[in-house]
Amino acid sequence: MGGMHGFGPVVRDPSERALDEQPFHEPWEARTFGLVVATSAKGLRTGSTRPAIERIEPATYLASSYYARWARGVEAALVAGGSLTSAEIDLRAAMVEAGPTRSRSTDRELVAAIAAFLDGPTRTSGEEVAAAFDVGDRVTVRRMAPDGHHRCPRYVRGATGTIERINGGWPHPDADTPEAVYRVRFDMRDLWGDDAEPGSLYIDLWERYLS
Amino acid sequence: MSDDHGDDQSIAQRVTAIESLLVEKGLITSDVVDAVVETYERDVGPLNGAKVVARAWVDGAFRERLLDDGTQAIGELGFGGAEGEHLVVLENTPDVHNVVVCTLCSCYPWPVLGLPPRWYKSFAYRSRMVREPRAVLAEFGTTLGDDVEVRVWDSSADVRYMVLPLRPGGADGLAEDELVPLVTRDHMIGVVR
Repeated sequence: MGGMHGFGPVVRDPSERALDEQPFHEPWEARTFGLVVATSAKGLRTGSTRPAIERIEPATYLASSYYARWARGVEAALVAGGSLTSAEIDLRAAMVEAGPTRSRSTDRELVAAIAAFLDGPTRTSGEEVAAAFDVGDRVTVRRMAPDGHHRCPRYVRGATGTIERINGGWPHPDADTPEAVYRVRFDMRDLWGDDAEPGSLYIDLWERYLS
Repeated sequence: MSDDHGDDQSIAQRVTAIESLLVEKGLITSDVVDAVVETYERDVGPLNGAKVVARAWVDGAFRERLLDDGTQAIGELGFGGAEGEHLVVLENTPDVHNVVVCTLCSCYPWPVLGLPPRWYKSFAYRSRMVREPRAVLAEFGTTLGDDVEVRVWDSSADVRYMVLPLRPGGADGLAEDELVPLVTRDHMIGVVR
């Protein structure tokens, strides 16, 4: 999305200033969010829902609300994980009143584990890994057109910036072993040209994106 | 283009169908889904972040620890967890204003701010904040002088960012718990100063 034109002003509901605003605005949004976390905790789907969300056809992506994209993502990931089939979801969606809405059984152990996972202090993440670049180095983001999930927005590709911090090592979304992730600072003019607003853009980039 | 959409009714039915099938097959229990939802409806929201900010305003040693290792310092207040495993706190100064966005989707520091508001996830915010931050900030009523450097943070990897706003003038005599209500989510995202 970064840098795209044409979406107009940022529209904000006045209620969205409050510290106690409700995070979900429709019951199905809350259930979608709950299912994303619960199905991951139960190992019912493979990996993140992000790749599935990013495989949504672009026109559909833009026409869908945020939690609708999550719902499409979790459905695709559950089907890919072999937990459900599209056909049975189609069938049940056509007659949802035919199925159960609440389980009789409970899982207190998992409830406790999820509570600790979502709401409890953690140690600072990021592994110590070898880093090819040092703070202060000038780096250029590689030009590339990756298919599938990645974390390198188009608008920084080809631009040159400065390493400000080595955040630590995390696995790239398609890898298992940690790789150095850097905080890179760009002058706005190096991203948007001479007419850019003054200022800086900071973004965290995996080493593989940099040269 | 609007973020609104015509298919939410059918999406809602599909979500109900998915949950119904998972329950019927014994793959999930409803209490687990309930617990996830209730965490963010009841326990975790921007009030956590406001408490962190108020503590930093009254306790200089905590402020230093917070800027040095956000995850650990925030953990001192009992806050942390998913989407907050590597928290970095960005300090506003008279010369610097920080603002956070996620152009890829909606990366956001859940343990201190809860789940993101709708505008944070909107295409308008995601596309424009990195290109014309001053124009977007002005839409939030935030006008910055030319002497203030704007730093935009695009959360694209595993680090999650929260802004430590300037302590408001005139709040000198206030105690920590009186400062908490002065802090809004907008301050901690950085769309207001």
